[in-house]
Amino acid sequence: MSDRGTFLTADNKNSTAAVSVKDLRKRFGPLEVLKGVSLEALEGDVISILGSSGSGKSTMLRCINMLEVPDSGEVCIGGEMFRLKKGRHKTEPADRRQVDRLREHIGMVFQSFNLWSHMTILENVIEAPVHVQKRNRAECIEEAEALLERVGIGDKRNFYPGHLSGGQQQRAAIARALAQRPKVMLFDEPTSALDPELVGEVLKVMRSLAEEGRTMLVVTHEMAFARDVSSRVVFLHKGVVEEEGHPAEVFRNPKSERFRQFLSNER
Amino acid sequence: MDFAFMWETFLILLTGLPLTLELAVTSILAGGILALLLSLFAVVGGPIGRGFTRGYVFVFRGSPLLVQMFLIYYGLGQFRPLLQELGLWAIFREPYWCAVIALTLNTAAYTSEIFRGGLNAVSVQQVEAARACGMSGPLLFRRIVLPIAIRHALPAYGNEVILMLKATALASVITIMEVTGLAGKLIADSFRAFEVFIVAGAIYLAITFLVTRLMMIVEFWLSPHLRMRPPTLA
Repeated sequence: MSDRGTFLTADNKNSTAAVSVKDLRKRFGPLEVLKGVSLEALEGDVISILGSSGSGKSTMLRCINMLEVPDSGEVCIGGEMFRLKKGRHKTEPADRRQVDRLREHIGMVFQSFNLWSHMTILENVIEAPVHVQKRNRAECIEEAEALLERVGIGDKRNFYPGHLSGGQQQRAAIARALAQRPKVMLFDEPTSALDPELVGEVLKVMRSLAEEGRTMLVVTHEMAFARDVSSRVVFLHKGVVEEEGHPAEVFRNPKSERFRQFLSNER
Repeated sequence: MDFAFMWETFLILLTGLPLTLELAVTSILAGGILALLLSLFAVVGGPIGRGFTRGYVFVFRGSPLLVQMFLIYYGLGQFRPLLQELGLWAIFREPYWCAVIALTLNTAAYTSEIFRGGLNAVSVQQVEAARACGMSGPLLFRRIVLPIAIRHALPAYGNEVILMLKATALASVITIMEVTGLAGKLIADSFRAFEVFIVAGAIYLAITFLVTRLMMIVEFWLSPHLRMRPPTLA
């Protein structure tokens, strides 16, 4: 995409992080899920977040767009920090409008697709641009059709989500997130709910997004994707970052014993 | 069976039909609005709102409509001086308004439960997807929550409409001359209960049939996503 290209060649590529997370803490009742997690994604970074179940990786991702509100810590999107305040029982956003506004720039892809069942695929894709971002409807439709074409389901635009396979639904969900023109894309285990034979078609789309320089944070169990596509790998264990680095480095030579174990179990 | 008599009866009972429909439509609309307010109060009113709505539903769903109607029409008559002072006697003096009030209060209890069920059926995931792209408040409610909730609530709501239509027959016991009231009067004149009630029943049956068809059409129109066959390619 053309606007993307100019973005990347700019000199200030690294000046502000697309996403930065500092010392994130989150507790569900007695269980402390995140115990001070920090992370930074620059423009064009593709970060794979690995970890066994219960390691806090999904919670961390959901804190980035405030679907979970962290108890403490900072989340910045494109240099702007989510303002939080201490509520009576828990921390909450200080300004709901700011949350909505920042969320417009964050595309999220969920494990179970979460498409709106009462809308066609096309309607799903144009919903946010038309009704949240108030962009011109005809333009949005044109853009949406191009996006659907791109993820390979252009012929399904008038179908309802229930009429599509899991892989097709997830690709539609990716198109829906892209239609927001997001600064960053969050993927929360995008292939975990899919039959094995459908995983490939979704990963292919994600691979092509990475190649065009999109900023992506991907919680995944797909080791091949983490190794071959991502620019950085983060391994979470019991709410802390246990290992972090370039995939070629960490996969060949893991420093942490836990990550070594995790890798041997996943293979 | 005397078909000529039944035809005559039919024509007489038909003159009560507008009143039956008026009672039903008025109380369904007013009850719908009241139910919406109740559900809203339950959602935004905190523990007090929830408690009030729960208590309201408990009382009006837990006692017979006929008793509620008697209470309002005969019972409140005891407080005539007070009602006159409040300027409400003009309403409570009229059996028509007493019937409308009883029907409205009663259906509001059931309808608010139906709304609650519909709202509860909206999946957290679809709401989350809407929040994630920047939706909140009224926009989220209008675009995502309400359309999904209505589709869930519609079958149960159709049932409630039919129940209300038939419940208007109870208004006859507080002297209202709708279809059933006229039937009672005809029987008192002719002593032919069987024919008269057969005709009255047939009239209700016909209207109910129309209402169920109408509901089916609305349901069909609202849920293309639930139909089995995917649409052909456009």
